[in-house]
Amino acid sequence: MMDLRPAEWVKHAITHPVEGFEDMRWKKSGSMKIACLIVFLLFLSEIASGRLYGEQFKVTYDKVFNVVPYITSTIVLFAAWVVGNWSICTLLDGEGTMRNICVYSAYALVPFIAQRFINVALSHVLIRDEYVFMQAIEIIGTGWTLILLFSAIKSVHQYSFGKTVFAIILTICAMLIMLVLLVLFMSLIQQIFIFASTIYTELSYRIRV
Amino acid sequence: MKKLSRRLVTLALSGAILGGCISALTASAREPYDVYNYDRWGEAIPSQAGYIAERAVSGYDLGVGAFESPSDIFCDHNDIFYVVDSGNDRIVAVDSDFREAVRVYDSFTMPDGSRTKLKNPQGIFISADNDLMYIADNENARVLVCDMDGNVQREITKPDSEIYDQKRTFLPQRVIADKAGNVYIVLGNITTGAAMFDPEGEFIGFYGANRVQPTAEIVSRYLTSLFTSEEKRARRARNVPTGITSFDIDGDFIFTCTSSSTQTTDTVKKLNAAGNNIFASNDYTYGDYAPMYDTSQNKLLAPAIVDIDIAEDGNINCLDFTTGRVFQYDEDCHLLFITGTLAKQVGGFDHAAALESKGENLYVVDSRKDTVTIFTETDFGRIVHKATAYYNAGYYEEALEPWLEVLKRDGNYWRANVGVASALLRKGDYEGSMKYAKLAGMGSIYNKAFEGYRMEFLKKHFGAIFAVAAAVIIALLALGVAMKKRRRALAAEAAVPADADIATLDLNKGEAAEALQALEAEAKADEEAARLKAEIAAGKTAPEAKNEEREEEQHDDGPETR
Repeated sequence: MMDLRPAEWVKHAITHPVEGFEDMRWKKSGSMKIACLIVFLLFLSEIASGRLYGEQFKVTYDKVFNVVPYITSTIVLFAAWVVGNWSICTLLDGEGTMRNICVYSAYALVPFIAQRFINVALSHVLIRDEYVFMQAIEIIGTGWTLILLFSAIKSVHQYSFGKTVFAIILTICAMLIMLVLLVLFMSLIQQIFIFASTIYTELSYRIRV
Repeated sequence: MKKLSRRLVTLALSGAILGGCISALTASAREPYDVYNYDRWGEAIPSQAGYIAERAVSGYDLGVGAFESPSDIFCDHNDIFYVVDSGNDRIVAVDSDFREAVRVYDSFTMPDGSRTKLKNPQGIFISADNDLMYIADNENARVLVCDMDGNVQREITKPDSEIYDQKRTFLPQRVIADKAGNVYIVLGNITTGAAMFDPEGEFIGFYGANRVQPTAEIVSRYLTSLFTSEEKRARRARNVPTGITSFDIDGDFIFTCTSSSTQTTDTVKKLNAAGNNIFASNDYTYGDYAPMYDTSQNKLLAPAIVDIDIAEDGNINCLDFTTGRVFQYDEDCHLLFITGTLAKQVGGFDHAAALESKGENLYVVDSRKDTVTIFTETDFGRIVHKATAYYNAGYYEEALEPWLEVLKRDGNYWRANVGVASALLRKGDYEGSMKYAKLAGMGSIYNKAFEGYRMEFLKKHFGAIFAVAAAVIIALLALGVAMKKRRRALAAEAAVPADADIATLDLNKGEAAEALQALEAEAKADEEAARLKAEIAAGKTAPEAKNEEREEEQHDDGPETR
């Protein structure tokens, strides 16, 4: 029973919001490679929806292309989610390992990514009056991903409904804390760097004179 | 003879070319600044000049002695200019070419026959409807209404009205009159708008006050005032808006400008007869988008629009004191040109005070250089003005040619891309319109053009699209049928052993164990066979063998875990 190839597991998990991830857990399946691919696709979808939209829907600032914001809003955010959830759920008696949290959460993102790509494609076919179709797709895709994400967390840790809600709220808090710390750390590094470069400049001037 | 004529011709030609080069050089050398404009992202980029400084005129040039702190300039309906020479307490009338003074008004005859002098006059207005001259006589605290010969008809002084706070003085700075003869006066210390008087000189009320900008400070002050006592509140500073700095009238509308270092709303207003601001709903920025940074003072200088002028073609000229620049907008408040700078040379200003336009010229009064600088429209400016006039009147197609000419001269000119996109859309050239709308970043125009383009595309390729769609559907159906067949065949194959399993399990529990063992043995035998096969086969078939193995392993797992 349930003898599926890794790619088929993705399909199964997505199309069975309630039991899909339970089945995956039972069969101990889920591929890290596919999860990484999905997160990379998320990153691509972010760029696509930021850059490749039809001109009638979005006017993009095309003077510079900076990849850092796209990385931050996808890969870093996803990593923060995984780490945050893992650190919260080790405290809350969750059964999931870091690997499983990563894989299950990534699988749950597929409808969201699909929605993004579909909308980018549609934005070159539709006009503003028909924007409602794109909106519908966006809502369905995002909602589906949210449900899947909830289900993924619920099954990976074997939580009850209420505990999952609680864990997700705590995870979001943990993500915020981590990101704040990260920003703080970055600015400190920057200060140190400026300090070092100032000393270097100072010394180089002295030596020259 | 022939040789001589040829020589003469070459001489004349080379002279003309040389002359052209020199004039071109001097023309570009005249501007002591880099001309710029804003692109569709609101970033400053180099651009063509719409106006160039032709000359600066002082009082000496006009033959009336030096100006001293001139503060206003006005061009009447007979093309006579009036320069308010505040420091010399006089009004100088100048001919339309701005070559010589035609008359100097320094004293006026009162109705009772006595003579009266001006004291620091600040503003002047001449009404085209009744040929009357209105002079804001600042330090005499009055507005003189006189005819063109200097006979005073009326004198407007501080109104004896309850609306007017009697503790405040009456210091007129600018004055205008509308068609009906109502007089509007900007007062130096009044923030509640311009004082409005009827044609007989009776005070009516205030007109066109600015709003208080809801900054954080003002909001917090309001919140604290909710909890303070009446007496305390009375002693606190009140929130008052900045008063109007200058205004101009154009037909039925009065345009006001406000120079303030703190207030960013209501800097330019277009008021109707009821005093409502027509520009209130648009959130345009007047002056530079990013404030100018002054290195000598280490300070950010916000724009301060000190004077406003409405040209005959409806364009709005705003004079920014901070940067010494004239910002020209079309009637819909789209930026056309930026002219001038802070500099000593001709074309730069030290203390820009007032602005007037006539035909293709701009006249800017500098009250520290004591000159009037005359700017003339360039070829580029003329084409842009022509295109803008057509565009704003709704003649998009007529505007197409001038806009394309503008793009030839300055491919970064944002308005031109908008104009071309609109024109091509009107003409039905949807693809071209899309291209220019994209360049202009105008999503709304692009949307309409794309709608048309899509419609045309569908109409043109309907047959092909239909055929392709039909082919795809048929192919999909065929594929579906084939898949179903294959799946059924696979299922039939798989069903045989599975059914056997269940049958043996169902027989009885004692035999079940045996059956299981038998199955396992079979599976092992299969495995070994497969392995052997794999070994026999070359490396090419090895992965296939492995796959088979894995599948079989999984088959075995199933029942065991159950």
